[in-house]
Amino acid sequence: MSVPILKQGDVLIASIQSALSDQDLVQLRDDFAEKIGRLRTRGVVIDVTALDVLDSFATRTLRGIAYIAKLRGAQTVVVGIQPEVAFAMVQLGLSLDGIATALDLEEGLAHLGDTANGSAGDGG
Amino acid sequence: MGEQLEQRESFALMHQMGLNDGAIERRKQVVALEHSDLARIARIRDLVLPRVDEFTAAFFEHLAKFDEARPLFDNRALLEKAKRLKAEHLQGLVSGDYSRHYVAQRIELGRLYAVAGLEMRFFLGAFHQLLRFIGNEVMTHSEHAPLEAFDAFMSLKKVAFFDLGLIVDVLVFERERIIRQQQEAIRELSTPVLQLRDRLLLLPIIGVIDTYRARLITENLLEAVRARRAKVVVMDVTGVATIDSRVANHILQTVTAARLMGARVIVTGITAAVAQSLVALGIELDRLLDTVGDLQGGIELAEQILGYRVSQGNASESRANATS
Amino acid sequence: MADEFHVPIEREEDVVIARQKGRELAAAAGFSMTDRTIIALAISEMARNIVSYARRGEVMLRKLDDGARVGILIVAEDEGPGIADIELAMRDGYSTAKSLGVGLPGTKRIMDEFELISVVGKGTKVTMRRWLR
Repeated sequence: MSVPILKQGDVLIASIQSALSDQDLVQLRDDFAEKIGRLRTRGVVIDVTALDVLDSFATRTLRGIAYIAKLRGAQTVVVGIQPEVAFAMVQLGLSLDGIATALDLEEGLAHLGDTANGSAGDGG
Repeated sequence: MGEQLEQRESFALMHQMGLNDGAIERRKQVVALEHSDLARIARIRDLVLPRVDEFTAAFFEHLAKFDEARPLFDNRALLEKAKRLKAEHLQGLVSGDYSRHYVAQRIELGRLYAVAGLEMRFFLGAFHQLLRFIGNEVMTHSEHAPLEAFDAFMSLKKVAFFDLGLIVDVLVFERERIIRQQQEAIRELSTPVLQLRDRLLLLPIIGVIDTYRARLITENLLEAVRARRAKVVVMDVTGVATIDSRVANHILQTVTAARLMGARVIVTGITAAVAQSLVALGIELDRLLDTVGDLQGGIELAEQILGYRVSQGNASESRANATS
Repeated sequence: MADEFHVPIEREEDVVIARQKGRELAAAAGFSMTDRTIIALAISEMARNIVSYARRGEVMLRKLDDGARVGILIVAEDEGPGIADIELAMRDGYSTAKSLGVGLPGTKRIMDEFELISVVGKGTKVTMRRWLR
Protein backbone atom coordinates (compact mmCIF):
# COMPACT_ATOMS: atom_id res chain seq x y z
CA MET A 1 0.00 0.00 0.00
CA SER A 2 1.67 3.17 -1.11
CA VAL A 3 1.69 6.39 0.85
CA PRO A 4 0.61 9.51 -1.02
CA ILE A 5 2.90 12.52 -0.82
CA LEU A 6 1.08 15.84 -0.86
CA LYS A 7 2.51 19.17 -1.78
CA GLN A 8 1.63 22.25 0.25
CA GLY A 9 3.54 25.20 -1.11
CA ASP A 10 7.15 24.14 -0.96
CA VAL A 11 6.55 21.56 1.73
CA LEU A 12 6.01 17.88 1.04
CA ILE A 13 3.73 16.02 3.43
CA ALA A 14 3.24 12.27 3.83
CA SER A 15 0.75 10.76 6.27
CA ILE A 16 1.55 7.16 6.97
CA GLN A 17 -1.39 4.85 7.60
CA SER A 18 -0.97 1.87 9.88
CA ALA A 19 1.31 -1.11 9.42
CA LEU A 20 3.65 -0.34 6.57
CA SER A 21 5.70 -3.20 5.24
CA ASP A 22 9.41 -2.78 4.64
CA GLN A 23 8.71 -2.56 0.95
CA ASP A 24 6.21 0.25 1.45
CA LEU A 25 8.77 2.17 3.49
CA VAL A 26 11.41 1.78 0.83
CA GLN A 27 8.87 2.85 -1.78
CA LEU A 28 8.10 5.94 0.28
CA ARG A 29 11.74 6.82 0.49
CA ASP A 30 12.13 6.45 -3.27
CA ASP A 31 8.99 8.51 -3.91
CA PHE A 32 10.37 11.25 -1.71
CA ALA A 33 13.70 11.11 -3.46
CA GLU A 34 11.98 11.57 -6.79
CA LYS A 35 9.78 14.43 -5.67
CA ILE A 36 12.42 16.28 -3.68
CA GLY A 37 14.66 16.06 -6.71
CA ARG A 38 12.04 17.38 -9.06
CA LEU A 39 10.19 20.00 -7.01
CA ARG A 40 11.54 22.96 -5.14
CA THR A 41 11.26 21.72 -1.58
CA ARG A 42 11.93 23.62 1.60
CA GLY A 43 10.58 21.10 4.04
CA VAL A 44 9.35 17.56 4.49
CA VAL A 45 6.76 16.48 7.04
CA ILE A 46 6.23 12.81 7.76
CA ASP A 47 3.20 12.05 9.90
CA VAL A 48 3.51 8.76 11.77
CA THR A 49 0.52 9.24 14.09
CA ALA A 50 -1.08 6.02 12.91
CA LEU A 51 2.01 3.87 13.34
CA ASP A 52 1.78 1.70 16.43
CA VAL A 53 5.44 0.85 16.37
CA LEU A 54 8.63 2.33 14.94
CA ASP A 55 11.30 -0.30 14.62
CA SER A 56 14.91 -0.12 13.52
CA PHE A 57 14.04 -0.41 9.85
CA ALA A 58 11.47 2.35 10.00
CA THR A 59 13.84 4.68 11.85
CA ARG A 60 16.58 3.93 9.36
CA THR A 61 14.25 4.74 6.49
CA LEU A 62 13.17 7.98 8.11
CA ARG A 63 16.80 8.93 8.57
CA GLY A 64 17.35 8.07 4.91
CA ILE A 65 14.56 10.38 3.82
CA ALA A 66 15.91 13.18 6.01
CA TYR A 67 19.35 12.73 4.51
CA ILE A 68 18.05 12.96 0.95
CA ALA A 69 16.05 16.04 1.90
CA LYS A 70 19.06 17.68 3.48
CA LEU A 71 21.13 17.11 0.36
CA ARG A 72 18.59 19.25 -1.48
CA GLY A 73 18.51 21.87 1.25
CA ALA A 74 15.22 20.78 2.77
CA GLN A 75 14.47 20.19 6.43
CA THR A 76 12.58 17.16 7.68
CA VAL A 77 10.16 16.98 10.59
CA VAL A 78 8.70 13.73 11.86
CA VAL A 79 5.40 14.29 13.63
CA GLY A 80 2.88 12.25 15.56
CA ILE A 81 5.04 9.78 17.43
CA GLN A 82 2.71 8.39 20.10
CA PRO A 83 3.69 8.11 23.79
CA GLU A 84 4.03 4.30 23.76
CA VAL A 85 5.99 4.34 20.54
CA ALA A 86 8.38 7.01 21.84
CA PHE A 87 8.84 5.05 25.04
CA ALA A 88 9.50 1.77 23.24
CA MET A 89 11.99 3.40 20.87
CA VAL A 90 13.96 4.93 23.68
CA GLN A 91 13.96 1.67 25.61
CA LEU A 92 15.25 -0.19 22.58
CA GLY A 93 17.83 2.49 21.91
CA LEU A 94 16.49 3.70 18.60
CA SER A 95 17.01 7.33 17.82
CA LEU A 96 15.99 9.92 15.28
CA ASP A 97 19.05 11.98 15.99
CA GLY A 98 19.35 14.93 13.74
CA ILE A 99 15.74 14.85 12.61
CA ALA A 100 13.39 17.41 14.06
CA THR A 101 10.25 16.11 15.70
CA ALA A 102 6.95 17.74 16.56
CA LEU A 103 3.70 16.79 18.19
CA ASP A 104 1.50 16.80 15.09
CA LEU A 105 1.10 18.09 11.57
CA GLU A 106 0.17 21.58 12.71
CA GLU A 107 3.19 21.84 14.93
CA GLY A 108 5.40 20.34 12.27
CA LEU A 109 4.40 22.95 9.72
CA ALA A 110 4.81 25.68 12.33
CA HIS A 111 8.29 24.43 13.04
CA LEU A 112 9.18 24.60 9.36
CA GLY A 113 7.69 28.06 9.23
CA ASP A 114 9.72 29.21 12.23
CA THR A 115 12.97 27.88 10.90
CA ALA A 116 12.28 29.30 7.48
CA ASN A 117 11.86 32.72 9.11
CA GLY A 118 15.14 32.29 10.85
CA SER A 119 13.87 32.54 14.42
CA ALA A 120 15.15 30.03 16.96
CA GLY A 121 13.27 26.77 16.63
CA ASP A 122 13.75 23.65 18.68
CA GLY A 123 17.02 21.91 17.96
CA GLY A 124 15.65 18.55 16.70
CA MET B 1 -35.64 -0.30 46.17
CA GLY B 2 -32.61 0.57 48.25
CA GLU B 3 -32.71 -2.91 49.65
CA GLN B 4 -32.62 -4.47 46.23
CA LEU B 5 -29.60 -2.40 45.34
CA GLU B 6 -27.87 -3.47 48.53
CA GLN B 7 -28.65 -7.08 47.77
CA ARG B 8 -27.26 -6.76 44.27
CA GLU B 9 -24.09 -5.25 45.69
CA SER B 10 -23.78 -8.07 48.16
CA PHE B 11 -24.14 -10.62 45.41
CA ALA B 12 -21.55 -8.73 43.40
CA LEU B 13 -19.15 -8.81 46.33
CA MET B 14 -19.82 -12.52 46.78
CA HIS B 15 -18.85 -13.01 43.18
CA GLN B 16 -15.65 -11.03 43.65
CA MET B 17 -14.82 -13.09 46.71
CA GLY B 18 -15.46 -16.29 44.81
CA LEU B 19 -18.39 -17.30 47.01
CA ASN B 20 -20.22 -19.50 44.56
CA ASP B 21 -22.39 -22.43 45.58
CA GLY B 22 -19.43 -24.76 45.55
CA ALA B 23 -17.42 -22.48 47.80
CA ILE B 24 -20.31 -22.19 50.21
CA GLU B 25 -20.67 -25.96 50.44
CA ARG B 26 -16.95 -26.20 51.07
CA ARG B 27 -17.22 -23.75 53.95
CA LYS B 28 -19.94 -25.87 55.49
CA GLN B 29 -17.66 -28.87 55.24
CA VAL B 30 -14.94 -26.88 56.93
CA VAL B 31 -17.15 -26.41 60.03
CA ALA B 32 -18.54 -29.94 59.63
CA LEU B 33 -22.09 -28.67 59.30
CA GLU B 34 -24.32 -31.63 58.43
CA HIS B 35 -27.96 -32.62 58.14
CA SER B 36 -28.04 -33.93 61.67
CA ASP B 37 -27.05 -30.47 62.85
CA LEU B 38 -29.99 -28.93 61.06
CA ALA B 39 -32.38 -31.23 62.85
CA ARG B 40 -30.90 -30.31 66.22
CA ILE B 41 -31.05 -26.61 65.50
CA ALA B 42 -34.69 -26.93 64.54
CA ARG B 43 -35.39 -28.20 68.06
CA ILE B 44 -34.20 -25.00 69.73
CA ARG B 45 -35.67 -22.69 67.16
CA ASP B 46 -38.64 -21.77 69.31
CA LEU B 47 -36.35 -20.84 72.16
CA VAL B 48 -34.47 -18.33 70.06
CA LEU B 49 -37.04 -16.73 67.77
CA PRO B 50 -39.19 -15.03 70.44
CA ARG B 51 -36.12 -13.41 71.96
CA VAL B 52 -34.43 -12.15 68.82
CA ASP B 53 -34.85 -8.52 69.87
CA GLU B 54 -33.31 -9.19 73.28
CA PHE B 55 -30.34 -10.91 71.75
CA THR B 56 -29.87 -8.16 69.19
CA ALA B 57 -29.91 -5.58 71.98
CA ALA B 58 -27.33 -7.58 73.93
CA PHE B 59 -25.01 -7.61 70.94
CA PHE B 60 -25.13 -3.86 70.48
CA GLU B 61 -25.03 -3.07 74.17
CA HIS B 62 -21.73 -4.85 74.36
CA LEU B 63 -20.37 -2.98 71.35
CA ALA B 64 -21.49 0.35 72.78
CA LYS B 65 -19.05 -0.08 75.65
CA PHE B 66 -16.13 0.56 73.33
CA ASP B 67 -15.04 3.93 71.96
CA GLU B 68 -13.76 2.30 68.81
CA ALA B 69 -17.30 1.35 67.88
CA ARG B 70 -18.39 5.00 68.08
CA PRO B 71 -18.52 5.54 64.28
CA LEU B 72 -21.20 2.88 64.08
CA PHE B 73 -23.26 4.38 66.90
CA ASP B 74 -22.85 7.96 65.77
CA ASN B 75 -24.42 7.16 62.44
CA ARG B 76 -28.08 6.70 63.22
CA ALA B 77 -29.09 5.33 59.83
CA LEU B 78 -26.21 2.90 59.83
CA LEU B 79 -26.98 1.73 63.35
CA GLU B 80 -30.65 1.15 62.62
CA LYS B 81 -29.77 -0.82 59.57
CA ALA B 82 -27.20 -2.84 61.49
CA LYS B 83 -29.77 -3.70 64.13
CA ARG B 84 -32.28 -4.74 61.54
CA LEU B 85 -29.76 -6.90 59.75
CA LYS B 86 -28.66 -8.46 63.05
CA ALA B 87 -32.23 -9.39 63.93
CA GLU B 88 -32.62 -10.93 60.49
CA HIS B 89 -29.37 -12.73 61.03
CA LEU B 90 -30.57 -14.32 64.23
CA GLN B 91 -33.73 -15.45 62.54
CA GLY B 92 -31.70 -16.89 59.74
CA LEU B 93 -29.32 -18.50 62.20
CA VAL B 94 -31.96 -20.92 63.43
CA SER B 95 -33.74 -21.25 60.11
CA GLY B 96 -31.80 -24.27 58.91
CA ASP B 97 -31.30 -22.75 55.47
CA TYR B 98 -27.74 -21.55 54.95
CA SER B 99 -27.44 -21.17 51.22
CA ARG B 100 -26.81 -18.25 48.87
CA HIS B 101 -29.39 -15.95 50.30
CA TYR B 102 -28.20 -16.45 53.86
CA VAL B 103 -24.62 -15.90 52.80
CA ALA B 104 -25.59 -12.72 50.98
CA GLN B 105 -27.10 -11.42 54.21
CA ARG B 106 -23.86 -12.15 56.08
CA ILE B 107 -21.92 -10.36 53.39
CA GLU B 108 -24.20 -7.38 53.61
CA LEU B 109 -23.72 -7.13 57.34
CA GLY B 110 -19.99 -7.62 56.93
CA ARG B 111 -19.89 -4.78 54.41
CA LEU B 112 -21.73 -2.57 56.84
CA TYR B 113 -19.16 -3.24 59.55
CA ALA B 114 -16.40 -2.48 57.03
CA VAL B 115 -18.05 0.81 56.16
CA ALA B 116 -18.39 1.65 59.86
CA GLY B 117 -14.72 0.88 60.29
CA LEU B 118 -15.50 -1.73 62.92
CA GLU B 119 -12.35 -3.63 63.73
CA MET B 120 -12.52 -7.39 63.81
CA ARG B 121 -11.82 -7.89 67.51
CA PHE B 122 -14.80 -5.77 68.56
CA PHE B 123 -17.09 -7.64 66.32
CA LEU B 124 -15.72 -10.93 67.64
CA GLY B 125 -16.20 -9.84 71.23
CA ALA B 126 -19.80 -8.83 70.66
CA PHE B 127 -20.50 -11.97 68.68
CA HIS B 128 -19.19 -14.10 71.51
CA GLN B 129 -21.42 -12.26 73.97
CA LEU B 130 -24.35 -12.97 71.71
CA LEU B 131 -23.57 -16.66 71.59
CA ARG B 132 -23.23 -16.76 75.36
CA PHE B 133 -26.67 -15.21 75.75
CA ILE B 134 -28.23 -17.64 73.36
CA GLY B 135 -26.44 -20.51 75.05
CA ASN B 136 -27.74 -19.40 78.43
CA GLU B 137 -31.28 -19.20 77.16
CA VAL B 138 -31.12 -22.60 75.59
CA MET B 139 -29.68 -24.30 78.66
CA THR B 140 -31.94 -22.53 81.13
CA HIS B 141 -35.05 -23.65 79.28
CA SER B 142 -33.91 -27.19 78.73
CA GLU B 143 -33.39 -28.48 82.23
CA HIS B 144 -35.33 -31.59 81.33
CA ALA B 145 -32.97 -32.50 78.51
CA PRO B 146 -29.64 -30.79 79.11
CA LEU B 147 -27.53 -33.07 76.90
CA GLU B 148 -29.81 -32.60 73.94
CA ALA B 149 -29.80 -28.87 74.50
CA PHE B 150 -26.03 -28.86 74.64
CA ASP B 151 -25.83 -30.82 71.38
CA ALA B 152 -28.27 -28.44 69.76
CA PHE B 153 -26.26 -25.47 70.89
CA MET B 154 -23.05 -27.00 69.57
CA SER B 155 -24.75 -27.49 66.20
CA LEU B 156 -25.77 -23.85 66.29
CA LYS B 157 -22.20 -22.93 67.03
CA LYS B 158 -21.13 -24.57 63.81
CA VAL B 159 -23.33 -22.16 61.93
CA ALA B 160 -21.97 -19.34 64.06
CA PHE B 161 -18.44 -20.23 63.00
CA PHE B 162 -19.58 -20.48 59.43
CA ASP B 163 -20.84 -16.93 59.85
CA LEU B 164 -17.62 -15.78 61.46
CA GLY B 165 -15.60 -17.12 58.58
CA LEU B 166 -17.69 -15.09 56.17
CA ILE B 167 -17.68 -11.84 58.10
CA VAL B 168 -13.96 -11.98 58.73
CA ASP B 169 -13.27 -12.66 55.09
CA VAL B 170 -15.42 -9.72 54.06
CA LEU B 171 -13.58 -7.39 56.42
CA VAL B 172 -10.21 -8.58 55.12
CA PHE B 173 -11.32 -8.32 51.52
CA GLU B 174 -12.60 -4.80 51.94
CA ARG B 175 -9.48 -3.72 53.77
CA GLU B 176 -7.29 -5.11 51.00
CA ARG B 177 -9.39 -3.28 48.46
CA ILE B 178 -8.83 -0.01 50.28
CA ILE B 179 -5.11 -0.63 50.47
CA ARG B 180 -4.99 -1.30 46.74
CA GLN B 181 -6.85 1.93 46.08
CA GLN B 182 -4.53 3.86 48.33
CA GLN B 183 -1.51 2.45 46.61
CA GLU B 184 -2.93 3.53 43.26
CA ALA B 185 -3.62 7.00 44.59
CA ILE B 186 -0.12 7.31 45.99
CA ARG B 187 1.32 6.27 42.72
CA GLU B 188 -0.74 8.86 40.91
CA LEU B 189 0.15 11.59 43.36
CA SER B 190 3.82 10.85 43.29
CA THR B 191 4.15 11.57 39.60
CA PRO B 192 2.19 14.74 39.02
CA VAL B 193 2.57 16.75 35.88
CA LEU B 194 1.58 20.37 36.35
CA GLN B 195 0.59 22.80 33.67
CA LEU B 196 2.38 26.06 34.28
CA ARG B 197 1.27 27.88 31.17
CA ASP B 198 0.04 27.17 27.73
CA ARG B 199 2.37 24.53 26.19
CA LEU B 200 4.55 24.51 29.31
CA LEU B 201 4.58 21.67 31.81
CA LEU B 202 6.35 21.31 35.13
CA LEU B 203 7.34 17.90 36.37
CA PRO B 204 8.70 18.00 39.93
CA ILE B 205 10.25 14.71 40.93
CA ILE B 206 10.63 13.84 44.56
CA GLY B 207 12.05 10.84 46.33
CA VAL B 208 13.68 7.66 45.19
CA ILE B 209 13.64 6.74 41.54
CA ASP B 210 13.70 3.04 40.86
CA THR B 211 13.14 1.50 37.47
CA TYR B 212 9.45 1.01 38.07
CA ARG B 213 8.87 4.57 39.18
CA ALA B 214 11.02 5.98 36.41
CA ARG B 215 8.83 4.22 33.94
CA LEU B 216 5.66 5.54 35.53
CA ILE B 217 7.05 9.05 35.47
CA THR B 218 8.01 8.76 31.82
CA GLU B 219 4.67 7.30 30.81
CA ASN B 220 2.79 10.02 32.69
CA LEU B 221 4.91 12.74 31.19
CA LEU B 222 4.59 11.49 27.63
CA GLU B 223 0.84 11.18 27.99
CA ALA B 224 0.70 14.71 29.38
CA VAL B 225 2.79 16.00 26.47
CA ARG B 226 0.26 14.52 24.11
CA ALA B 227 -2.86 15.55 25.99
CA ARG B 228 -1.78 19.12 26.79
CA ARG B 229 0.25 19.65 23.62
CA ALA B 230 3.31 20.63 25.55
CA LYS B 231 6.29 22.14 23.77
CA VAL B 232 8.51 22.58 26.78
CA VAL B 233 8.79 20.63 30.01
CA VAL B 234 10.69 21.73 33.07
CA MET B 235 11.72 18.62 34.95
CA ASP B 236 12.94 19.45 38.41
CA VAL B 237 15.02 16.85 40.19
CA THR B 238 15.94 18.88 43.25
CA GLY B 239 13.96 16.50 45.41
CA VAL B 240 15.43 13.31 44.02
CA ALA B 241 17.22 11.39 46.76
CA THR B 242 20.17 10.00 44.87
CA ILE B 243 21.22 10.66 41.32
CA ASP B 244 23.55 7.90 40.27
CA SER B 245 24.30 6.68 36.79
CA ARG B 246 21.13 4.63 36.66
CA VAL B 247 18.94 7.55 37.60
CA ALA B 248 20.83 9.76 35.17
CA ASN B 249 20.05 7.19 32.52
CA HIS B 250 16.36 7.26 33.38
CA ILE B 251 16.38 11.03 33.12
CA LEU B 252 18.11 10.81 29.78
CA GLN B 253 15.59 8.32 28.46
CA THR B 254 12.69 10.46 29.58
CA VAL B 255 14.15 13.50 27.89
CA THR B 256 14.84 11.63 24.67
CA ALA B 257 11.35 10.16 24.54
CA ALA B 258 9.75 13.56 25.11
CA ARG B 259 11.88 15.01 22.37
CA LEU B 260 10.56 12.38 19.96
CA MET B 261 7.16 13.90 20.65
CA GLY B 262 8.38 17.36 19.86
CA ALA B 263 8.76 18.53 23.44
CA ARG B 264 11.95 20.01 24.78
CA VAL B 265 12.86 19.11 28.35
CA ILE B 266 14.83 21.40 30.64
CA VAL B 267 16.24 19.58 33.63
CA THR B 268 16.67 21.69 36.74
CA GLY B 269 17.99 20.96 40.17
CA ILE B 270 21.15 19.05 39.42
CA THR B 271 23.59 20.39 41.93
CA ALA B 272 27.21 21.01 41.13
CA ALA B 273 28.16 18.15 43.41
CA VAL B 274 25.89 15.72 41.62
CA ALA B 275 27.11 16.91 38.23
CA GLN B 276 30.68 16.33 39.27
CA SER B 277 30.02 12.86 40.59
CA LEU B 278 28.35 11.97 37.31
CA VAL B 279 31.28 13.30 35.33
CA ALA B 280 33.48 11.00 37.39
CA LEU B 281 31.27 8.16 36.17
CA GLY B 282 31.77 9.28 32.61
CA ILE B 283 28.41 10.97 32.21
CA GLU B 284 28.41 14.58 31.14
CA LEU B 285 24.81 15.42 31.63
CA ASP B 286 24.94 18.99 30.47
CA ARG B 287 26.27 17.91 27.12
CA LEU B 288 23.37 15.55 26.70
CA LEU B 289 20.60 17.61 28.20
CA ASP B 290 19.41 21.14 28.68
CA THR B 291 20.22 21.71 32.32
CA VAL B 292 19.70 24.77 34.44
CA GLY B 293 20.82 25.06 38.03
CA ASP B 294 17.65 26.17 39.70
CA LEU B 295 13.97 25.82 39.06
CA GLN B 296 13.27 29.51 38.60
CA GLY B 297 15.98 29.76 35.98
CA GLY B 298 14.58 26.73 34.22
CA ILE B 299 11.09 28.19 34.10
CA GLU B 300 12.41 31.46 32.75
CA LEU B 301 14.31 29.66 30.03
CA ALA B 302 11.19 27.69 29.17
CA GLU B 303 9.15 30.86 28.89
CA GLN B 304 11.79 32.40 26.68
CA ILE B 305 11.72 29.42 24.37
CA LEU B 306 7.98 29.65 24.11
CA GLY B 307 8.19 33.31 23.27
CA TYR B 308 6.84 34.82 26.44
CA ARG B 309 8.55 38.12 27.07
CA VAL B 310 10.56 37.85 30.27
CA SER B 311 11.62 41.09 31.95
CA GLN B 312 13.52 41.46 35.19
CA GLY B 313 12.58 37.92 36.21
CA ASN B 314 8.96 38.93 36.10
CA ALA B 315 7.30 37.17 33.20
CA SER B 316 4.61 39.29 31.66
CA GLU B 317 1.57 37.79 30.03
CA SER B 318 2.18 39.15 26.59
CA ARG B 319 3.62 36.79 24.09
CA ALA B 320 6.34 38.06 21.82
CA ASN B 321 5.58 37.28 18.21
CA ALA B 322 8.11 35.29 16.28
CA THR B 323 10.24 37.65 14.33
CA SER B 324 8.83 38.00 10.86
CA MET C 1 -8.16 -16.86 21.83
CA ALA C 2 -5.49 -19.55 21.57
CA ASP C 3 -2.45 -19.37 23.82
CA GLU C 4 0.19 -20.23 21.26
CA PHE C 5 0.97 -19.12 17.73
CA HIS C 6 3.56 -20.13 15.18
CA VAL C 7 4.21 -17.51 12.52
CA PRO C 8 6.37 -18.62 9.60
CA ILE C 9 8.75 -15.86 8.56
CA GLU C 10 9.74 -15.77 4.93
CA ARG C 11 8.86 -12.37 3.60
CA GLU C 12 8.81 -8.89 5.04
CA GLU C 13 5.05 -9.00 5.27
CA ASP C 14 5.44 -11.78 7.80
CA VAL C 15 7.27 -9.38 10.11
CA VAL C 16 4.11 -7.31 10.34
CA ILE C 17 1.99 -10.42 10.89
CA ALA C 18 4.21 -11.67 13.69
CA ARG C 19 4.17 -8.25 15.28
CA GLN C 20 0.37 -7.94 15.14
CA LYS C 21 -0.12 -11.42 16.53
CA GLY C 22 2.27 -10.61 19.33
CA ARG C 23 0.35 -7.48 20.11
CA GLU C 24 -2.92 -9.40 20.21
CA LEU C 25 -1.53 -12.06 22.50
CA ALA C 26 -0.03 -9.45 24.77
CA ALA C 27 -3.36 -7.66 24.94
CA ALA C 28 -5.11 -10.91 25.82
CA ALA C 29 -2.58 -11.49 28.57
CA GLY C 30 -3.38 -8.10 30.03
CA PHE C 31 -0.26 -6.13 29.15
CA SER C 32 -0.53 -2.34 29.14
CA MET C 33 -0.46 -0.31 25.95
CA THR C 34 3.17 0.58 26.51
CA ASP C 35 4.18 -3.02 27.15
CA ARG C 36 2.35 -4.18 24.05
CA THR C 37 4.28 -1.72 21.96
CA ILE C 38 7.55 -2.86 23.45
CA ILE C 39 6.69 -6.50 22.82
CA ALA C 40 5.65 -5.73 19.25
CA LEU C 41 8.94 -3.93 18.76
CA ALA C 42 10.98 -6.85 20.09
CA ILE C 43 9.16 -9.27 17.80
CA SER C 44 9.63 -6.95 14.88
CA GLU C 45 13.36 -6.71 15.39
CA MET C 46 13.85 -10.45 15.74
CA ALA C 47 11.59 -11.33 12.81
CA ARG C 48 13.34 -8.76 10.72
CA ASN C 49 16.70 -10.36 11.47
CA ILE C 50 15.33 -13.66 10.22
CA VAL C 51 14.20 -12.13 6.94
CA SER C 52 17.41 -10.22 6.44
CA TYR C 53 19.82 -12.99 7.22
CA ALA C 54 18.26 -16.41 7.31
CA ARG C 55 15.69 -15.95 4.61
CA ARG C 56 13.37 -18.24 6.45
CA GLY C 57 12.45 -19.05 10.00
CA GLU C 58 9.67 -18.95 12.54
CA VAL C 59 8.43 -16.82 15.38
CA MET C 60 6.61 -18.69 18.13
CA LEU C 61 4.45 -16.78 20.57
CA ARG C 62 3.01 -18.22 23.73
CA LYS C 63 1.06 -16.78 26.58
CA LEU C 64 2.61 -17.75 29.90
CA ASP C 65 0.77 -18.42 33.15
CA ASP C 66 2.58 -20.22 35.93
CA GLY C 67 -0.11 -19.55 38.49
CA ALA C 68 1.79 -16.76 40.15
CA ARG C 69 2.25 -14.47 37.19
CA VAL C 70 1.29 -13.95 33.59
CA GLY C 71 3.59 -13.20 30.67
CA ILE C 72 4.52 -13.81 27.08
CA LEU C 73 7.14 -16.06 25.53
CA ILE C 74 8.68 -15.24 22.18
CA VAL C 75 10.97 -17.59 20.31
CA ALA C 76 12.51 -16.44 17.03
CA GLU C 77 14.25 -19.30 15.31
CA ASP C 78 15.91 -19.85 11.95
CA GLU C 79 18.30 -22.14 10.11
CA GLY C 80 20.33 -19.34 8.69
CA PRO C 81 24.05 -18.67 8.65
CA GLY C 82 24.21 -17.99 12.36
CA ILE C 83 26.11 -15.21 14.09
CA ALA C 84 29.86 -15.59 14.05
CA ASP C 85 30.69 -13.23 16.89
CA ILE C 86 27.82 -13.12 19.31
CA GLU C 87 29.60 -10.88 21.75
CA LEU C 88 30.17 -8.33 19.05
CA ALA C 89 26.59 -8.51 17.89
CA MET C 90 25.35 -7.91 21.41
CA ARG C 91 27.44 -4.82 21.84
CA ASP C 92 25.62 -1.52 21.66
CA GLY C 93 26.24 0.44 18.51
CA TYR C 94 27.49 -2.44 16.43
CA SER C 95 25.98 -2.68 12.99
CA THR C 96 26.76 -4.06 9.57
CA ALA C 97 25.55 -2.83 6.26
CA LYS C 98 22.21 -4.48 6.79
CA SER C 99 22.37 -3.68 10.47
CA LEU C 100 22.31 -7.11 11.98
CA GLY C 101 22.10 -6.75 15.69
CA VAL C 102 20.89 -3.18 15.81
CA GLY C 103 17.98 -4.82 17.47
CA LEU C 104 19.81 -7.37 19.61
CA PRO C 105 21.27 -5.40 22.52
CA GLY C 106 18.28 -3.13 22.60
CA THR C 107 15.86 -6.03 22.55
CA LYS C 108 17.72 -7.69 25.38
CA ARG C 109 17.29 -4.50 27.38
CA ILE C 110 13.56 -4.34 26.98
CA MET C 111 12.75 -7.98 27.68
CA ASP C 112 12.76 -9.46 31.16
CA GLU C 113 14.52 -12.62 29.99
CA PHE C 114 16.64 -12.92 26.88
CA GLU C 115 18.68 -15.81 25.55
CA LEU C 116 20.51 -16.09 22.27
CA ILE C 117 21.90 -19.31 20.84
CA SER C 118 23.63 -19.25 17.49
CA VAL C 119 25.84 -21.69 15.65
CA VAL C 120 27.58 -20.70 12.42
CA GLY C 121 26.16 -22.70 9.56
CA LYS C 122 23.28 -24.07 11.59
CA GLY C 123 21.10 -21.24 12.74
CA THR C 124 20.00 -18.85 15.44
CA LYS C 125 17.44 -19.07 18.20
CA VAL C 126 16.38 -16.16 20.34
CA THR C 127 14.22 -16.87 23.37
CA MET C 128 12.68 -14.02 25.33
CA ARG C 129 10.07 -13.50 27.99
CA ARG C 130 8.28 -10.54 29.39
CA TRP C 131 6.17 -10.67 32.52
CA LEU C 132 3.22 -8.63 33.59
CA ARG C 133 4.09 -6.33 36.43
